[in-house]
Amino acid sequence: MTQESTEIARGLRRRDPDLLDRLIEQYQHRLLRYLVYLTGRRELAEDLFQETWIRVLERGHQFNDKYAFSTWLFSVARNLAIDYMRRKQPASLDGLMNGKDNDNNDAAPFDLPATGRPSAFDLTLQREQGEHIAAGMQHLPAEYREALMLRFQEGMSLEEIATLARVPLGTVKSRIYRGLSALEPWLKGAQL
Amino acid sequence: MKTTPNNDAHERARQLIALSGPEALSAADRRQDQPSSNAWLAAHLETCASCRAFAENAAETIRGLRSIPIAAERSLVSTTQMRVRRRALELQRHRERLWMVSVSCTAVTLCALLSTVALWRGFEWLGARAQLPSSVWQVAFLVFCVMPALVAAILLLAKDTHLPDHTGSYQG
Repeated sequence: MTQESTEIARGLRRRDPDLLDRLIEQYQHRLLRYLVYLTGRRELAEDLFQETWIRVLERGHQFNDKYAFSTWLFSVARNLAIDYMRRKQPASLDGLMNGKDNDNNDAAPFDLPATGRPSAFDLTLQREQGEHIAAGMQHLPAEYREALMLRFQEGMSLEEIATLARVPLGTVKSRIYRGLSALEPWLKGAQL
Repeated sequence: MKTTPNNDAHERARQLIALSGPEALSAADRRQDQPSSNAWLAAHLETCASCRAFAENAAETIRGLRSIPIAAERSLVSTTQMRVRRRALELQRHRERLWMVSVSCTAVTLCALLSTVALWRGFEWLGARAQLPSSVWQVAFLVFCVMPALVAAILLLAKDTHLPDHTGSYQG
C-alpha cells in the first residue's frame, strides 16, 4: 500500500520495540476511542487497549501492508473484544450491547472531561449535545456504535468498515443509517 | 406494508444523507452510488421539508458524535509501552533459547553421526584383528551403542525403588 505500511510491516516482523512505542503514541486516542465505543465501558476498553498492543507485538508478522495499519489494528482490537465477551457470555458482539453490565452507569464510558477554561455559549451547547449523544450511544447495539464511530470519527470508507467488521457493504450502510436514526431522539432531547 | 414510490424516495434520501454525513459524498461513495445521487438528493431536499429536517438532525448528531472527547491518559500509554517492551524481551529470550536448542540439537546429531561411523570402523578393525565373525563384532557394536541408554534406564528405575531420593529416604 504505502511506504509507511511497508515500513510498519517490516518493523512488526522484527518486533521492533521502538516502532511499537511510536505506534502506541500515534494511535493511542483512536484505538481507545474505538474500544470505548465498541465495549461501552472505559475500564474494559483500557484493558483491551493494552492487550491489543501485546497482540500486535505477538502477531505483527500477520500484518499485510496492502491494508492500512489502522484497519488491522482495529480488527485485532475487535477480535479481542469479541473473545472477551465470548469468555464472559456466550455471545458475539451483540453481547457488548448496553444494559448488561452498566445499567447503573449510564454516562460513565463517554464521560466528558470538564474544560478548565471558560467556554463560549456555543461550546457549552455543543458539549451538552455531545453528552446527550453519548448517553444515546450507550443505548445503541455495539454494531451500530462501531459503524458510526468508524464512519464519522475515523472517517473510514464503507468498504474499509465492511472489511474490518467482516460484513457485507449493505449491512454497514444499514447499520450507519439505523444508528444515526436511533440517535435522533437523543439529539432532540438535547434541543429541548 | 407496501411502500409507495414517494416513501422510497424519502428512504433513499435519508440513506444518502446518513451515509454521506454533513460533508459532501466522498469520491469512494460516489463510485458506489449512481453519479447523479448528489444532484438527485439536492433536488429532493429542495422540496421535502421532512428530509431536510432529517439532514439537519443527522448533521447535528454527527457533530455531537465528534464532540465527544475520548483521550487515552498518559499513564495508560506508558504502562502499555512498558508491558509491550517486557513482552518483547520475553519473546526475544524465548527465540534465543529456541535458537540455542536448535544449534545444540544439530551439533549433537552431527557428533553422533561422526562418532557412529568412527566406532563402526573401530569395531570392524578390532573384529578383523581378533578374527571374529562379523556378526559378533556387529552385536558388540550394538550393545556398546545401547549401553549408555540401558544403564540410564536401569538407574532411573532403581531410583524409584532402591536408591535414596534427594531427601535421603528410601522408597518402596
